Amino acid sequence: MDFDFTKEQLMFKQEVVRFAKKEIVPRVQEHDLKGEFDFESFRKLGEFGILGLHFPEELGGGGADVITTVLAGEALGEAGVDGGLTLAYGAHTFLCADTIFRHGTEAQKQKYIPKLASGEWIGCMGLTEPNAGSDVASMTTSAEKKGDKYVLNGNKMFITNGPIADVAVVYAKTQPELQHAGISSFIVNKGTKGFSAGPPLIKMGVRTSHTSELIFQDCEIPAENLLGKEGDGFLMAMQTVEWDRSALLAPFVGSATYLLKKCTQYAKGRVQFGRPIAQFQAIKHKLADIRIFGEAARSLVYRIAWCKDQGRPLNHLEAAIAKLYVGDWSMAPTFDAVLIHGGYGYCHEYDVERIFRDSRLAPIGGGTSDIQKMIISKLI
Amino acid sequence: MNFDFTQQELMLFKEINDIMFGLARERTLEEKDPISAESLLREALDRLAKTSYLKLGIAQSKDIPGLCAMMGAMEIVSSCSPSLYLSIEMSTRLFGRIISTYGNEKQKAKWLSPVLYGKKLGAVALLEKTMNIDNDPMATIGIRENALIKISGVKNYVINGPVADFIAVAGTMENKPALFIVEKGIKGLIQGKRLETIGLDGVVISGLTLENCQINEDQIIGQFEDKSILTTLRIWENQIILGSCLGMMKSSFESARTYAKTHKTGGKPIIAYQEVGFKLAEMLTLFQTSQLFAYRAVCAPEGKNRDFEVLTYCAKVFCTEAAEKVSGWALQILSGEGYISGNPAERSYRCAKYNQIAGTSTEISRVKIGDAAIGA
Repeated sequence: MDFDFTKEQLMFKQEVVRFAKKEIVPRVQEHDLKGEFDFESFRKLGEFGILGLHFPEELGGGGADVITTVLAGEALGEAGVDGGLTLAYGAHTFLCADTIFRHGTEAQKQKYIPKLASGEWIGCMGLTEPNAGSDVASMTTSAEKKGDKYVLNGNKMFITNGPIADVAVVYAKTQPELQHAGISSFIVNKGTKGFSAGPPLIKMGVRTSHTSELIFQDCEIPAENLLGKEGDGFLMAMQTVEWDRSALLAPFVGSATYLLKKCTQYAKGRVQFGRPIAQFQAIKHKLADIRIFGEAARSLVYRIAWCKDQGRPLNHLEAAIAKLYVGDWSMAPTFDAVLIHGGYGYCHEYDVERIFRDSRLAPIGGGTSDIQKMIISKLI
Repeated sequence: MNFDFTQQELMLFKEINDIMFGLARERTLEEKDPISAESLLREALDRLAKTSYLKLGIAQSKDIPGLCAMMGAMEIVSSCSPSLYLSIEMSTRLFGRIISTYGNEKQKAKWLSPVLYGKKLGAVALLEKTMNIDNDPMATIGIRENALIKISGVKNYVINGPVADFIAVAGTMENKPALFIVEKGIKGLIQGKRLETIGLDGVVISGLTLENCQINEDQIIGQFEDKSILTTLRIWENQIILGSCLGMMKSSFESARTYAKTHKTGGKPIIAYQEVGFKLAEMLTLFQTSQLFAYRAVCAPEGKNRDFEVLTYCAKVFCTEAAEKVSGWALQILSGEGYISGNPAERSYRCAKYNQIAGTSTEISRVKIGDAAIGA
């Protein structure tokens, strides 16, 4: 076993931290307060190369390995980038673009990946429905083949980047009677007749990511927009789990490092009873717990990434464990961070308040903690 | 980066597993009787010495697996018997590592080789009135008298104390930290009564009193320039405790999982109920997270900065608290079955508290982690 990164990986991570601190973080609080997506930051992520980091260079990507890609996500969290932007990045790059990259035809890849990698286009993925969340197979969105077209009907719910996306990877049933095996995946472009997005949902956290319903009403798309073969959709959706359990969890690991720095700074400067509160054991205890979470979580995330770099099929047990741990335990450090900051921590001026709200999505999004427990209990 | 064990390491795990389960078939591994416990310990050392287990983390050779494998191997031994594990580790990974790291060639030949070959048993007498070595100065003292050194002091909680052939006694000489190696039967060494403990039934533990024990100059290790030797001993002890925690979680989890799959109620195995299945999921999550944490902590390079120490404290807090939770939840799943003495979960539950208070306690660990964060 070896837990070391290469020098290049570590240097790149530091570059991402520097870039994010300078170019993105200064606008985070303002956008969170307004509940606005930060288009400028997203474009800068594209320019820096993060949006397409793992795609081949000939498609406009950076040709990076999975570990490096995960480190970039961790670096964003470590720099203080908000959960909304990292979620938008995750949905765009891993749930939308990567699905096209892995399963698309050469023509589809050439058409979509360079523009998604650069950030010129924004992507989203439509899987969840109002009445089909964890139980994916109960989705009702249909795709009926009519000549050289598919006609989509149905609604998708809680779609990250939904209102702003130029491209959507949408899952719909081509053969409803087959349940999982009847699900197929399609590329739907913005502006397609019969395709619309609802207004952004007002959320507790990750407020800079725009989330909405997607509505398909007799939405006709060319048959060539099918990804892979009919019936492969469920497997494609499941394959995004590899990224979901590594790159999408990585910002939570980085965020723990960020919280520790912020809390330490505050605790050293805040004087009560004649001394900085950092000198009280109760505060040190909380700082320790924040560090412990980050250190415990990182190896779980790196393990998934390393296995993917080795070309191994996803170990669903290890993936569910990583998601369950990060999801359930990442809230405690944010709780401690708010407590350390006291009344200030409850106010928007100090970003621990935002991080506290953002973290609440961790045990919900991408498969709830209960679903992870269900997976683990079945696999053992 | 690499998350795999090598084939050589996996082979070693199998050898250790076979030895430990072989021993378990022949004897009770948690022997309460001190005479039986000593004989079991010597038997286990003799068998394990046929593998590279006792040399892990101590002897340097390309044929001997590294520190991550050491942790993996420790987990196996601890899962079979927390008591036997702790007794073995205090002899090899603490006493042996002291001699290996700080001893001269003559000292290594005299005390290290017999320990690594499983022929002799070591112990380390570190603690005094309390288990705290950070705030309370050590009263045990060595005074030079001509060519001899006279050692006096009272040590507490010495694992293997009553049965060890060699004991490394921590103290000071001429105001500098030092370790005095005393051998069994030395005049002035008084064994205390064996201590009764909540768990670790098979560990022979006692206090020791040294009344003007005379040793030679070549029985001193040190004198050290500062107290960092004590920190190092604590870190090694913490590593031993990490292995202990992993073993406890392994045996508790496996016991609960087997029971949940085979015990039926309402016409189906209890694992089919979410209250049970989900609890097992959380147990495995804590166990696997602890494994990776412990491997990473033990593999971290020992540099001049404090990060290696801090990472060990982090792992210590996490793994020791996880071990108590996992064994407690296992007991809950096992219900009455787990409450019966001898069940691995019951045994681990009783032993788990030791790991939180021994080495660097979880409270002191958190303070040290916090100190590192604020740069204190």
